[in-house]
Amino acid sequence: MHDSFLTHARKLWLWVALIVLSGSLLAYVWHDPIGPANGGTWLGYTLGTIGALLIIWLMLFGVRKRTYANRVGSVRGWLSAHVYLGTALILIALLHSGFQFGWNLHTLALVLMLAVIFSGFFGVFAYLRYPALMTRNRDSASRDAMLEEIADIDQNALALADGIDRRIHAIVLRSIENTRLGGGVWALLTAHDSSDLALAQARQMLDKRELEGKDAAKLSTREMPTMFAMVDFLAGNADDKQAEALRKLIDLLSRKKSLAGRVARDIQLQSLMEIWLYFHVPLSFALLAALSAHIIVVFFYW
Amino acid sequence: MRWLIRRVTRKGKNSVAYEEDIHYGDVLSVGRGSDQAIFIPDLRVALEHARITAVGAGRYKIESLILAGIRVNGDITYSTTAGAGAAVEIGTTRIQMLEPPADFDAGVEVSSIDKAEQKAVAQAKAKPTTLAQTWLARRGPAWVAFSLIAILFFALPLAAHYSSGWRETLPGLPIPSQNAWQTGKLQDAHHFFGNDCTQCHDKPFRWVRDESCTACHAATPAHADPVKFNLPELGNARCAHCHRDHNGTDGLIVRDQILCSECHQGLKERTGGSSQLANVSDFGNDHPQFKVDLPAWTADGKYAPVRTLLGTPGLQERSGLKFPHAVHVATKGIKSPDGEKVLECDSCHVADAGGAGMQPVDFETMCQQCHALTFDVTEPERQVPHAKVPEIIFTLDEFYARRALEGGVRDVTSPAIVQQRRRPGQALTRQEQFEALAWAREKSRQVAETLFTGSACTVCHAVSPGREAGDPWRVAPVRVAGQWYGKASFTHASHTTMQCADCHDASTSKASVDLLIPGIANCQQCHAGEHAKDKVPTTCIGCHGYHESDQLILAELQQRATAATPPAQRAQ
Repeated sequence: MHDSFLTHARKLWLWVALIVLSGSLLAYVWHDPIGPANGGTWLGYTLGTIGALLIIWLMLFGVRKRTYANRVGSVRGWLSAHVYLGTALILIALLHSGFQFGWNLHTLALVLMLAVIFSGFFGVFAYLRYPALMTRNRDSASRDAMLEEIADIDQNALALADGIDRRIHAIVLRSIENTRLGGGVWALLTAHDSSDLALAQARQMLDKRELEGKDAAKLSTREMPTMFAMVDFLAGNADDKQAEALRKLIDLLSRKKSLAGRVARDIQLQSLMEIWLYFHVPLSFALLAALSAHIIVVFFYW
Repeated sequence: MRWLIRRVTRKGKNSVAYEEDIHYGDVLSVGRGSDQAIFIPDLRVALEHARITAVGAGRYKIESLILAGIRVNGDITYSTTAGAGAAVEIGTTRIQMLEPPADFDAGVEVSSIDKAEQKAVAQAKAKPTTLAQTWLARRGPAWVAFSLIAILFFALPLAAHYSSGWRETLPGLPIPSQNAWQTGKLQDAHHFFGNDCTQCHDKPFRWVRDESCTACHAATPAHADPVKFNLPELGNARCAHCHRDHNGTDGLIVRDQILCSECHQGLKERTGGSSQLANVSDFGNDHPQFKVDLPAWTADGKYAPVRTLLGTPGLQERSGLKFPHAVHVATKGIKSPDGEKVLECDSCHVADAGGAGMQPVDFETMCQQCHALTFDVTEPERQVPHAKVPEIIFTLDEFYARRALEGGVRDVTSPAIVQQRRRPGQALTRQEQFEALAWAREKSRQVAETLFTGSACTVCHAVSPGREAGDPWRVAPVRVAGQWYGKASFTHASHTTMQCADCHDASTSKASVDLLIPGIANCQQCHAGEHAKDKVPTTCIGCHGYHESDQLILAELQQRATAATPPAQRAQ
């Protein structure tokens, strides 16, 4: 079986996390502090120290993954430990707090920590799910290969369109101009591609015309944008040879549409795999500030 | 109109060839059609793609003839007017407008865009395809978030610690103040100074000092005197050892029994016998039998209760009263002037205002209806007052003096002058008065003796003859209600759901010496220690207080500790 970061070293870090967790939980249950459970008992200080050290160590993962020369364990091993011990941190921090929450710096640190961890959960989800989806979506082609094929199709479509009618040529030209992959953050995350949606629908119209005759297609022209109407009009007035070429052209453009959709999906999947880091990292630094302040303050006002 | 069309052809790396054409007409047509003035053999170009019209003074109107529009100076447009220098890009061809050269009305330069430039243009036009190419970033926001939190939640509250100005300003602003440092809710009573952390946390990185507490809690008693009991723990116990604020509105009163039980072990040995307190750790299974304050009096009549361990064999309550409970609370009732009357406990035992203990039993309202203090059969309505010996004697003296002087007493043993009925206004001679009053005194003495030794007082009280003339009878002092558990705070008010008989077995008690105060086993039926599951968890402070010393207050203890610390250490 493929050794993912979750199963690394026969789930060594899962077991380490479980041992740490059960130890903390047992101690918490057994511990009978004076007054309500809180971070100021000996167990509270112990769990707090473990939690703080864990947070520092978890943040060092960002350093470790950049230092390729480092030989202390593999990056995958570090990631495995990062994920499992980071998850364990939820309970350690909650036990440290004695489940006391308030509108204060201390709970802010907890909330930031939870936000970091849960954004990390999305990262785990993304790393487990999206690479497979990306591979399937690309269908053993690379993104560059798909982009090249799109460029080829554009050339062929132009040549074909030129042989039909100059208005069709203009339409295809515009379609090429309009094909833009990528865009803003939202466009990247939602797989929005502005390649011409009209073409697939134009083909539907062509089919419809053949099935139902001219009149049926003409009736709906009022509701159609100019381009559909033009395609329809042209199809209506074309001779058989032109109609044949038009059909070829539409097939070609549909193929392009499908390719562009796959490239857009590829961009989306890659963006989804990265987006959580834009929360995970800044939030973890906010946590570092809150954690430092928390530690200083509880001893400042001992 | 004369147009100059200059075609630029690149030959090799640095060699450029120019070819100039002259075109006549107002309009310059651009397209792939062979009839076009500027013919561009590129599939990306429409047959009739665009039209350029010279509008004079070196300005050109550029119109697109196709739906896709054309790119002028990088922007897609359908129609625009531009001056010299404007460039139209169609496919890989660039058409640049020129200042009309000499002898021409208009001019354009047609050149092909080389591959490197095409690539650069394509890249510039390309939209981001990864998040890293968008405005999103990690490092910048990380620094901003770190700094914001550090400033708002650390630096500003810290400034408030050192500067009273900040301390007063911050809470009014919509940003975190020192309150953001509070680990939990303050005790209600501390709210009024809660915004000023320095009231308790006067020095950074140091525990809250007891002096901060006693600054307000000046009269709080200490627990016990560490000198008397020679226990260093007594002097070292910080207030905050038990009282930890920021734990909610009632978190300051800690109820854990371990706070007491960790010290109340082996006290006899540790104090060298100064303390006689037994070991205790848990009310349910490790608590000594109760001690009660049994009524007792010193030789000169001063009340001095004796702390006595319950369960001691032959223990008797010397209340000074003769009172069989069983007779009085009999379920069939007891004879009274109004017939059979069933007495309940609360017929005599009425809770005091606080509900903790019972009011003293009141003879006049509770006993006298049956136990009337009558003394003369001829006047059965007359009674002597209760409990005041001189007044009783005085009442009897007066009563019989009046009877003797009025005459008409139906007592054959009395002198004739006393028996004799008088006419209104009839005066007695001096001799007759002496005789009559002598009888009255004797009669009063006899009746008093009967009251004190036979018919009335001794029913309930122990009476003994007085030792001197003005003190003819002594009634033993009585104490039937009061604080039994002197070192614990039992309250009846918390136990009103119980029946009296659940704790006090009065119905079978035939004599008042029976002690009806229950021992620990009675309480343990319902109460057990802190960890009790099936009983009321009751920790030490359920019944006992900590600050109970009646000789020493906390502030005094601290002064002693301060005085004992060498000045060098004190300065730290």
